[in-house]
Amino acid sequence: MILISFDIDGTLEVGDPPGVLTMAMVRRVQKEGFLIGSCSDRPISAQRAIWAQHNITIDFAVGKMMLPDVKARFIADVYYHIGDREDLDKRYALDAGFEFLWPQEAIVQPWFL
Amino acid sequence: MTPQYPHASMYRTTEGLGLWAHRGKVAAVGVGHSPTARRWDGNPETCVGAWSILALRKAIADAGVAPDQIDGLILDPVTTTGAYWPEGAPVPMDVVNAFKPTSDLLDGIAKLSADWILQNMPELTNIQFVMYAPRCMSHAVVVAAQAVGSGLTHTCLVLKSWHNFEGRYYQGGANAQDAIDGTSAISRLWGTPASYGTALQFAEYCRKYGKTHDMMAPFITNSRRNGLMFPEGYWAQHRPEHLTAEDYLAARWIAKPANLFDNDIPIMVSAAYLFTTPERARDMKHKPVYILNHASSRGTPRSLTPTLDEVEAETSKTGRKLYEGAGITAADLSFENTYDGFTLFHQFHIEGLGYRGMKHGDALDFYQTDISISGPNPVSPSGGNIGSGRSRFWMHTDCIQQLQGRAGARQVTGVKPEIAISGGPMPLGGNFTVWSATPG
Amino acid sequence: MAKQGVVPDALTQPFWDAANAGRLVIQHCNACNRLQHPPAPTCQQCGSGDHLAWKDMSGRGTIYNYGVVYDCPVRLLQADQPFNVAVIMLDEDPGIQMYSHLPGTPVDQVPVGGRVEVIFETTANGQKVPEWRVVG
Repeated sequence: MILISFDIDGTLEVGDPPGVLTMAMVRRVQKEGFLIGSCSDRPISAQRAIWAQHNITIDFAVGKMMLPDVKARFIADVYYHIGDREDLDKRYALDAGFEFLWPQEAIVQPWFL
Repeated sequence: MTPQYPHASMYRTTEGLGLWAHRGKVAAVGVGHSPTARRWDGNPETCVGAWSILALRKAIADAGVAPDQIDGLILDPVTTTGAYWPEGAPVPMDVVNAFKPTSDLLDGIAKLSADWILQNMPELTNIQFVMYAPRCMSHAVVVAAQAVGSGLTHTCLVLKSWHNFEGRYYQGGANAQDAIDGTSAISRLWGTPASYGTALQFAEYCRKYGKTHDMMAPFITNSRRNGLMFPEGYWAQHRPEHLTAEDYLAARWIAKPANLFDNDIPIMVSAAYLFTTPERARDMKHKPVYILNHASSRGTPRSLTPTLDEVEAETSKTGRKLYEGAGITAADLSFENTYDGFTLFHQFHIEGLGYRGMKHGDALDFYQTDISISGPNPVSPSGGNIGSGRSRFWMHTDCIQQLQGRAGARQVTGVKPEIAISGGPMPLGGNFTVWSATPG
Repeated sequence: MAKQGVVPDALTQPFWDAANAGRLVIQHCNACNRLQHPPAPTCQQCGSGDHLAWKDMSGRGTIYNYGVVYDCPVRLLQADQPFNVAVIMLDEDPGIQMYSHLPGTPVDQVPVGGRVEVIFETTANGQKVPEWRVVG
């Protein structure tokens, strides 16, 4: 089982600024049975609204500090966080025991292709 | 024309001055706002200069006055929120040349001179008085009130503009260097973000009065709710997202106990007001809003950062100065619109005012009651910076609009809007104004 | 934690020189018999610069307050976040504050009201800076 946590701004196409990961890519991995959700500075209610607007049902929506909670709640073989900030995304991901991917690294992963 | 800087005598900084000599003799008659943006997109039409002109022209039109009848201009030449033009980066000459430039190529892009404004607003043919009031609109407002009241200018534009560029707030400059100068190092070596000082005061407050950070949630949700009813504001225009208590309490810390949503976001925006005399105001389009008094805090901390005792003493003093000069008491306030640039100091302002009879230590409990615009005790009906982004002027605009009955969906309904106070930014060091629907 | 280096200027040279020698000094107006920190060209109270000198401190104080920095604007410190930043009141005058990362104190476990003593840490360019550690 793979769990993927997405930052939004600078990472997803719907972010501000927009990132390179598309919602179609997100749907693709969800269809493959991945656990998916967002980890962003956007308010949690706003994160949920974004996903709802794109008809994507997510498993979690959390703030940046909450990746340890995600790891505790979901059992997966590997946990990824994809984000564009060294100080926020990479640091919080590694501190929580996640693998970290920059958006440009993520889009060439086989699950998104 | 060489702009003046305000003389010390223009400020009301002490108690015992009695009623303000110009009480009720200065009126706000026009309001204008530019659009908002998170960051500059590089186009001439949206640079800080262009949006300043837009706001000024809107204020003039709002008042219904002919531009050649305006004889004064007061503005802040500094437009940065903490973002500076990148060192060594070429200045976009297409933007410079889209306007009549001054000798400073960044004028209109990363700063704003009166000359730039006047060169690019040829309709302002009668400006006789120009003054700079740095830092924020609160400063410009008190200076303009005093200038009009004392006859330095008769019909005066008051402008505050902000630019914002790519990059993270405060991350460049000295903070990116391997070494800093000795004087800065005394306080800067420990890497504290901007909200740290306020966070300290709040921490001390919670220990002293037995309160918790969670108690801030109703203030946050109320502020964002009000801000989303401010069509001129950033969140309403670009990301109409409410902030729930869950959102607030789940936000990451910046300088604990200040979290992400205790901090505002920098934006690009301009606002302008038109002030004049009550006699002149009679002929203008909207009901005038009168200024009963202004007061300024000159409090400074004893040492590196203000203590809670210093904050409480200074905010109480500000309240006394405001009421003395306006000839009112706290009981006369319809609502308050003090600054919320860090949310955690809004309570110090309103406790200092004794709003609704509260004393120091009461505000967080007060937030748990009905503080909405439809209730008897509106808190920050403007929504402030939390509601609309970092401008430091939503509070002033809202006071004017509320007292004119033009606040739209945000109009207070639980109280009759008659007298209000706005101002800031900080509990120590800020400028405050008492507004009234009547000249008193 | 590797703080930014310090390039002393004329106003603060005595402070930084003393730190290099393992001494804590604070600016003192001899006319007002009043300490002040941060240092300034003139006395906060009398407004004169003629009576300012530097006075040695005992190096003892109390923790007045603290915050925990999670989002630091200073590049060199970002790898160390989150970290404590405490405000220390000096024994000689509780109105005089100094900042401290409180080396050795776990994050967010700062004993407000606790006693501290000064130590001197080396910054990125070799300049020493007063720091504080909890005692007792």
